[in-house]
Amino acid sequence: MNIENIEQGTSLTRDAFRRLYKNKMAMLGLVILIFLIVVALLTPWIAPYTYQGQNLAMGATPPSAQHWLGTDVLGRDQLTRVMYGSRISLMVGFIATAVALLIGVLWGAIAGFVGGRVDTVMMRIVDVLYALPFTIFIILLTVIFGSSMLLLFLAIGAVEWLTMARIVRGQVLTIKRQEFIEAAVSMGFSPWQIIRRHLIPNVLGPVIVYTTLTIPSVILLESFLSFLGLGIQPPQSSWGSLISNGVDTMEEYPWLLLFPGITLSVTLFSLNFLGDGLRDALDPRTSQD
Amino acid sequence: MFGFILKRVAQAIPVILIVITATFFMVRAAPGGPFDEERAVPPEVTKQLNARYNLDAPVWQQYSDYLLNLLRGDFGPSFKFPSRSVDEMIAAGFPITFELSMYAIIFALLIGVVAGVIASLRANTLQDYVPMSAAMVGICLPSFVLGPLLLLSFGIWLDWLPVSGWGYTPGDKILPSITLGSSYAAYIARITRGSMLEVLSQDYIRTARAKGLSTFRIVTVHALRGGITPVISFLGPAMAGLLAGSFVVETIFQIPGLGRFYVQAAFNRDYTMILGCTIFFAVLIIIFNLLSDIVLVWLNPRLRQDSVKRG
Repeated sequence: MNIENIEQGTSLTRDAFRRLYKNKMAMLGLVILIFLIVVALLTPWIAPYTYQGQNLAMGATPPSAQHWLGTDVLGRDQLTRVMYGSRISLMVGFIATAVALLIGVLWGAIAGFVGGRVDTVMMRIVDVLYALPFTIFIILLTVIFGSSMLLLFLAIGAVEWLTMARIVRGQVLTIKRQEFIEAAVSMGFSPWQIIRRHLIPNVLGPVIVYTTLTIPSVILLESFLSFLGLGIQPPQSSWGSLISNGVDTMEEYPWLLLFPGITLSVTLFSLNFLGDGLRDALDPRTSQD
Repeated sequence: MFGFILKRVAQAIPVILIVITATFFMVRAAPGGPFDEERAVPPEVTKQLNARYNLDAPVWQQYSDYLLNLLRGDFGPSFKFPSRSVDEMIAAGFPITFELSMYAIIFALLIGVVAGVIASLRANTLQDYVPMSAAMVGICLPSFVLGPLLLLSFGIWLDWLPVSGWGYTPGDKILPSITLGSSYAAYIARITRGSMLEVLSQDYIRTARAKGLSTFRIVTVHALRGGITPVISFLGPAMAGLLAGSFVVETIFQIPGLGRFYVQAAFNRDYTMILGCTIFFAVLIIIFNLLSDIVLVWLNPRLRQDSVKRG
């Protein structure tokens, strides 16, 4: 922090943005992420080939000028398939995380803040849900309702909020015990005022850090399910199912494993670096500049 | 402390019961009978099968029979392989999955905590960036990408390590354990770094520094006690993730563990196997969450007050 800023007086938010802007890896992550999102949104118009288009004569060729990422055994363009896969993987990632975030933060905050019997009951419910291994949960739901995208959003969201709830509750419990909350209570502030002024700003840092851990882990979970053949069903494909196909033939056609794998990893990299940058920007106590 | 443990164990029992009940009825609610094959089966055979699997009794009768059998450790016969019982398959597969998970978590804890502590002590230097970048790679390379890549490079191209099996040839446990553990090592490193940074900025650490204690002593005696708590609370849920991860790792490396049986049961619609395994996994995860809670309270006396008050 230099003298100029102190003289002008900067808000905490502006200060955070300034710090984020200075973080090169975070900005790189943001740029890559925006690029991926734009490409995913525009895929139906800018994809070089059609999604289903086969060319058996071009079966499983390595990357070339015509097919930048090569073709699969049916001669389908790998770049096009990865682009369409991005749409599905990113969509599942963002929507399911939003679901998880909403439920988890509310649940954990209420449990931690109210405490007592409510806390016990709420955390028991979390334990019960934790104990249901998610694969059977999702398999059972797909057996009953048939595999669909909406089901994946809800099922993954319903799985991923649990950790968020535990973390938020833990944070709230720790903060609740500190003196400045006691001071606020003794000064007669209402619970809502205390939540807004003290609790939310203090919980926000860990929430953002764990959200950045959640988006990639949601994308991973969807890919994991699709890899096992339990997630996205053909003819649609996500990065996970593309990787699964790639593994089957990795000794002969390694590029079919490599490119979906790289795309997935780069996306996760970008999200993680952006999240780290956000953490350093929002929680100056833990950053060292 | 003893009262707290007793109380938590008592709380876990109804949870386990709820899980068994919910899982039992969810599996029963799945449409289509277990013996609906493409080929029509004579009614007498269906009747025989229903009798064998206790499906002709009323649902509540089935449920109470199942519970009583569970108490005796009897998970019933498998739907798909009638000659084998579910407990036989669990007994055969679980020790392998458990061993794999333990190697993976030990690997993850060793690498993760050490890397996280080093990174937090030298924040924003090369000793921070290198382990944290490695952790990023660990998180961003999923087990189903890392596993095949390790298999391809160390197993096939370099031919240093076996590519499949478990305990058949020396060294065949190395690649699966690393594949399963690496992302947890990465998460643990990140969590350790984050919480250690928080702890290291506290006043009592400054006091310890002012007393002239060595960095090693400050870390091991003062900082790690607080800094390790988020890692401990991560270990409970991590167990669930390890079991799920074993599905993929055991499939890739062809390990005859419970994870692989479970995935096969899911594809075969082997309802009794799915039911038994789910209950088994669930009880296991509840026990691990319980242990992680107990260790957490033991490490942080401030939480103890609350637990006494609530008790």
